[in-house]
Amino acid sequence: MVFPTIEFAVFFPPVLALSWALMSRPRIWKPFILAMSYVFYAAANPRFCLLLGGVTLANQAGAALVQRAGDERRKTLVTATVVTLDLVGLGIFKYYGFFAQDIDRVLSSVGLGLGLPLTTIALPVGLSFFTFQAISYIVDVRRGLCERGSTIDVALYLSFFPHLVAGPIVRAREFLPQLATPRDPKDVAVGSGVFLICLGLVKKVVLADLIARQLVDPVYAVPEAYGGPDVLLALYGYAAQIYCDFSGYTDIAIGLALLMGFVFPRNFDRPYSAKSFREFWRRWHMTLSRYLRDFLYIPLGGNKGGRVKTIRNLMITMVLGGLWHGAAWGFVLWGFVHGAALAVERVIRGRISAPAWVRWLIVFHVVVLAWVLFRAPDFSTAGTVLERLFSGGPATLFDPVVVIAVVLSIGLQLLPERPIVALRHRLEAANPVALAAALTVTIIVVGSTVPGGAVPPFIYFQF
Amino acid sequence: MSGMAPPPPPRGRHLTARDALVVAVIVVFLLVIMAGRSVRHAGKEMSSGWERTLVLAVGEPAGWLADRLPLQSLVADVTKPLRSGDDLSSGPGGFDSTAAATATGAAPVTPDAFDPAALGARPAAPRPLKTVLVTGDSMSMPLDAEVARRLAGGSIKTLRDPHVGTGLSITGIVDWGKLSVNQVKNKTPDAIVVFIGANEGFPLKYAGRQVSCCGPAWAAAYATRARTLMNTYRQSGAARVYWLLLPGPRDPDRQKISKAVNLADTVAAQPYRAQVRLLDMAAIFTPGFRYRDAMSVDGQDTIVRRTDGIHLNDAGSSIAADEVLKALRADYGDQVGG
Repeated sequence: MVFPTIEFAVFFPPVLALSWALMSRPRIWKPFILAMSYVFYAAANPRFCLLLGGVTLANQAGAALVQRAGDERRKTLVTATVVTLDLVGLGIFKYYGFFAQDIDRVLSSVGLGLGLPLTTIALPVGLSFFTFQAISYIVDVRRGLCERGSTIDVALYLSFFPHLVAGPIVRAREFLPQLATPRDPKDVAVGSGVFLICLGLVKKVVLADLIARQLVDPVYAVPEAYGGPDVLLALYGYAAQIYCDFSGYTDIAIGLALLMGFVFPRNFDRPYSAKSFREFWRRWHMTLSRYLRDFLYIPLGGNKGGRVKTIRNLMITMVLGGLWHGAAWGFVLWGFVHGAALAVERVIRGRISAPAWVRWLIVFHVVVLAWVLFRAPDFSTAGTVLERLFSGGPATLFDPVVVIAVVLSIGLQLLPERPIVALRHRLEAANPVALAAALTVTIIVVGSTVPGGAVPPFIYFQF
Repeated sequence: MSGMAPPPPPRGRHLTARDALVVAVIVVFLLVIMAGRSVRHAGKEMSSGWERTLVLAVGEPAGWLADRLPLQSLVADVTKPLRSGDDLSSGPGGFDSTAAATATGAAPVTPDAFDPAALGARPAAPRPLKTVLVTGDSMSMPLDAEVARRLAGGSIKTLRDPHVGTGLSITGIVDWGKLSVNQVKNKTPDAIVVFIGANEGFPLKYAGRQVSCCGPAWAAAYATRARTLMNTYRQSGAARVYWLLLPGPRDPDRQKISKAVNLADTVAAQPYRAQVRLLDMAAIFTPGFRYRDAMSVDGQDTIVRRTDGIHLNDAGSSIAADEVLKALRADYGDQVGG
């Protein structure tokens, strides 16, 4: 089930009403919300629910064994086993086809063909997200940062429908405490929730899909057919599209959770205003960044072992972070470029100084260029896009509406935050009738901009 | 519990759960009276299952109420300038009008039913090839880009017009009858490549009654729709149509649908074999309609299907594009590069 659809519009209001009606009785509320989350997930494919349930039970059993284990070695062994199982599951579903074919080709080329079964496996929606959350749970239990939750609490943590399919990646120690006591019905951030839902709908359906349809998709499909001006605009366009698409989704997810009384961590904070790559990664997909920091970069040694090891750790973290996005070499290279940029930045820090606007210009354009590797279906297309960037030709895609959409999506991030936040608080403080009217108008306006009534899937669903 | 705490709640004014429900109730009420018919229509177009039941449970009464109020039409008028893409809300060619037309007696067979080449005759020259339109549902992606890429740089213009999530048996998003008329009128393509069928299997009307997939009655109703499209696209014989039959999908239930679709398309094309070419993707990708993920390409085992077991991946689309270009060259000669 996708948020901006009629199915979800029919599903959510009764769930919200029943959720608050049952909230004071956790013994009924928890099974109810768990069941609704599984219903939400079953809409994609009921069989995937078995995988979600299996991941939940395996990690909960692991957490129980960790807690019961007498010595540290045994705790570590259990944790490592469960994390390995999680990663094997993720690997089979997400990466098997990709690696099997490439390994098969490499081995065949040196006369060592193994005859690996070349098969594709349906990727369960949200697998990367709930697997990462499951790993965070058992590792945090092992580290003593989080107590083992009850099985139903852990099941709810992993399956809670607002964050189930595309995040944000909520940590167990952020979510489980919110299940400890019923949410306070007298303290609900309704205005913020409604505002975020409206904002997310506009970002996704109006801005991201418009930019994709009219600018990015045509150029990336046949870059040979476009000259430098169109390709340049498409590069900026994709930067705007992916931001609006993904941050739009998480805005809706966070807004829905707020209406239900739950608070999720922020996932985006004006990423294109960053003046360093480090800052960019603190503002872009923030829940993934801190996850990779806590569960990969720091365990690898972080910045403790000298410059070379720090660079190595950065590169490993970013390359694996790239691979997390999907089974394609483009993602790996995209991660490599960001890792290299972070490494270079670390090496030259304190040695070279540049005005803030120059730093912003460099960071923004490296990020925009790196997106080419992320968006292009293969290296050949990426190469053609970059080649065409420096060619002449007419600007055939400069539609004023699309240009305004791109400029707004990126430009608004560069404005000072304080007045925007103040304006937002004023809007959020409206009474329920005004909030309802705003949401209705947004839904109708957004719905009328969808050609043919179909909203394309969110980019991050495939991850 | 130590360490990270729940994120702080947003600043600003907080209301109550009752207020959240008031917002939800008002929004639902306003949407019911202003868009109730859309909910009902969406429900009717969904494939059977609990989601359809759920949407129709709301959509039927919402539609009933919206029918009695002028608000939905008013909203449609107000938001008309915001609509993007082709407006197909009115215009000729809709499937409803096709369904109403019934033939009595035996229909005459015309020369268009024969591919002249198959009879050793010289085919009539088509209109010069200036524009190729690649269209269909998600099956046509990334075939459309692959064809466009192969033809880029030459004198032939490639137009891509995929409509994801659509089908001939589902008109909720797009009525392909109207869309095809619109495409021909606005884009005037000389050759049309069609790859559609990933979202079929919805009940169709045949002889005034609703029939479920995938018996002869359903196939006949589907073939009527496919034939309508083929007739529109061939533009009275001036254009050529390249209709790709579906490769077998992985899921056995979908296989049943795809088989029916392919049979219906084959029957649909019969009166227009002079202009409509059927390109059998099942024979290439799933011989005997037995699903496979990988096949030998240039001597190397290569995965040609996407993980969903329905669509072709980039490698598969490249093979499909080879077939399309081969067929284009057969009709238009060497001006077709790629």
